[in-house]
Amino acid sequence: MMQEDKFDRGTALTIFSTDRHEDLVALGLSLIIALLVYLFV
Amino acid sequence: MVYTQKTPWTLVMGVIMVAYAYMVQSGVMEPLITFLNTGRHAGEMQTLGYAFGAVAILAGLWQLLASPKEGQTDYYLSTVAGLTFIMLVAFIVKWGLDPLMAKWGREAQPALGFNFANILNLNYVVMGIIAGIIIVNVFKVPGWAQNGVRLSRLGLKTGVILLGTLYSFAELAQLGKLSIVLIGVFVLGSVGLVLWIGARRNLPNSMTGVMSAGIGVCGVSASVAAAPVVQAKSIEIAYTIGTVLLFGVVCMFLFPIVGKALGMGYVQFGAWAGTGILNSAQVAGAALAFQPTGIETLKVAEIFNITRVLFLPIIVLWLALWYVRREVVTERVDVMQVIVGKFPVFVLGFILMFLLSSTGIFAPARHYQGAYFDNSDKALIKKDRSGKEINNYLKDADVETLRKDAEKVKREDQRAALQRLIDNKKVMSEDDDATLRGIINAKIMSKEGTAVLNKAHRAVRHTAAKIAMFRDLIAWFFTFGLVGLGMQITAASIRQAGGQPLVIGSIVGVIKAVGSLIVVMMLVSETV
Amino acid sequence: MLTPARLLLASHGTTGARAAEKMALDLCRAGTELFHLIVVPDLWGGMMGDDWLNNASTRAAYGKYVEAQLAREIEQHREMLGQEIKTRGVRCHTKVLLGKPELCLIEHAAEIKPDLVVIGSPRPAGTSGLRSRMRLEKLVGALAVPLLIVPYPK
Repeated sequence: MMQEDKFDRGTALTIFSTDRHEDLVALGLSLIIALLVYLFV
Repeated sequence: MVYTQKTPWTLVMGVIMVAYAYMVQSGVMEPLITFLNTGRHAGEMQTLGYAFGAVAILAGLWQLLASPKEGQTDYYLSTVAGLTFIMLVAFIVKWGLDPLMAKWGREAQPALGFNFANILNLNYVVMGIIAGIIIVNVFKVPGWAQNGVRLSRLGLKTGVILLGTLYSFAELAQLGKLSIVLIGVFVLGSVGLVLWIGARRNLPNSMTGVMSAGIGVCGVSASVAAAPVVQAKSIEIAYTIGTVLLFGVVCMFLFPIVGKALGMGYVQFGAWAGTGILNSAQVAGAALAFQPTGIETLKVAEIFNITRVLFLPIIVLWLALWYVRREVVTERVDVMQVIVGKFPVFVLGFILMFLLSSTGIFAPARHYQGAYFDNSDKALIKKDRSGKEINNYLKDADVETLRKDAEKVKREDQRAALQRLIDNKKVMSEDDDATLRGIINAKIMSKEGTAVLNKAHRAVRHTAAKIAMFRDLIAWFFTFGLVGLGMQITAASIRQAGGQPLVIGSIVGVIKAVGSLIVVMMLVSETV
Repeated sequence: MLTPARLLLASHGTTGARAAEKMALDLCRAGTELFHLIVVPDLWGGMMGDDWLNNASTRAAYGKYVEAQLAREIEQHREMLGQEIKTRGVRCHTKVLLGKPELCLIEHAAEIKPDLVVIGSPRPAGTSGLRSRMRLEKLVGALAVPLLIVPYPK
């Protein structure tokens, strides 16, 4: 009887849909930043 | 569903950022910068202002003009609005409110007798989180920003991963050992204590279970992970998360105040915050609140945080098995699935980044132990923003102060090093630097003499540019993440703190905070 | 007025609400249409708090679990009422809404146009439960139909 989409889970939910996605994006982002620092600083 | 909302605000925020950066660059902002004494931030005001402003303007135009269809582009680009929103809040807090409070604190000091900004730690991290909390509770996060606010967790995780670049092997090994002992004792201890109290008071197993995870391990995150496992009732979840959030906010303010009052060092405070604060999201906040201008405390606290996070799968597994023994459960507990499912993958990223940096590609290994030594003119004489020369050689008055104190120094090697410093007006070698540090630490000289020695030491110690860049970036990622997390703490959920979880949470939370404080003060010294 | 043909009852299992349910059923005659509104307070939206750690799957599992748990509690609640409703020959409609209690009630009342709205009294201070109050002033100001507030049971 309860429709799932009725529940707004708030702003806390991650924007990433699949499991692990967020951790991997964070890792990718860090590597890109590390590369930029390595090359340009 | 199309996530992009037609709003002019992204564009407006972008224009504000670029305009501000331009005004800083062209010197229009100079009176304000002088007034607030934020000259050291002028560089990042321009880079960050232009970078985020440009992205926001492009995304803002796209949001206004294009009519996006449902899909990946729409979904990910819709986060730019919220990202810009958080960054704008962070800019205002870091470049405006933080220096303003510091100024007011100094000016009110004669009248009040104390510096309220210092004592209350009204620095940019604390005020950023407060700003987030105020925005969500008083004004509501605007609809167009909501999808971007969800990026705050990504910011925190990226910050933790990047933090891996700043440790040496020795540091990591020592801190790791210390954290495993402390966290092991206090996490397992408090989980066990809650289970024991729960059994004594005949509380439902589901309530005891979710409570022990929330109060014992890492707060909200653990409650979220444990609630389905122990089949918690809705009111039990509400009580527990409310209690943990309440404690988290209180701890984040109280811990740095207590830490400063007790004169704790960076390592001590980091260890205490990492062990004693119930909710792991606030650990980084408290560490940065304690030491906003450096990240030594954060480095220690995050190691403790990571260790604690690694305990989460173990605790969830323990609770699952504990619960299965007591209640009829339809689902079987899959041990491997719990461990694999709850393992925080970003910790592997942290380790990877640590390994990468220990190859020495960012800076020679010895730089990680602290700053490196350089007493050449290039390092000692710098130009400030207006092109004025800053000479870090000792002044004649400084030399005079040292001469007066010179006879207090008795050891032969220390006398020689001091004489070389007086003759050359700078520290002549790394060995001399170490010897002179000995004089400082032994407190042989007068206060003025020690101050001069410290000045001479600072003049020849430098941080590798890449490492300094990493530090700044990490501080920004944490600021971004914490402001965003602040926007997720609603008063409505804090108000649910109540029932047995509030009683037991208060007891165990206070025991943990005070107990870890005592242990840290006794066991941990500054030498790590 | 006290023999309404369409009656709106707002309740969710608390002691005060149970008194309201009893009163509402006493007012029902055969053929009365009873609209039962259950509000899930919007504070649940913030009940992930500042969790920064968990993977998407853990959060999804948690979100689904909380929803299912709330649904289960509401279902139990309905079952308790169901028996009574059957014996009295009342036609009952249940609606679950997420939001602020008073706003949901005002909105729902405007939609179904009942003759009477029945609610329980606020929980007295010192008793445990969710802190999510019906803001009566707002409710009374906006409601176009008579409102019956049942006293909190002693």
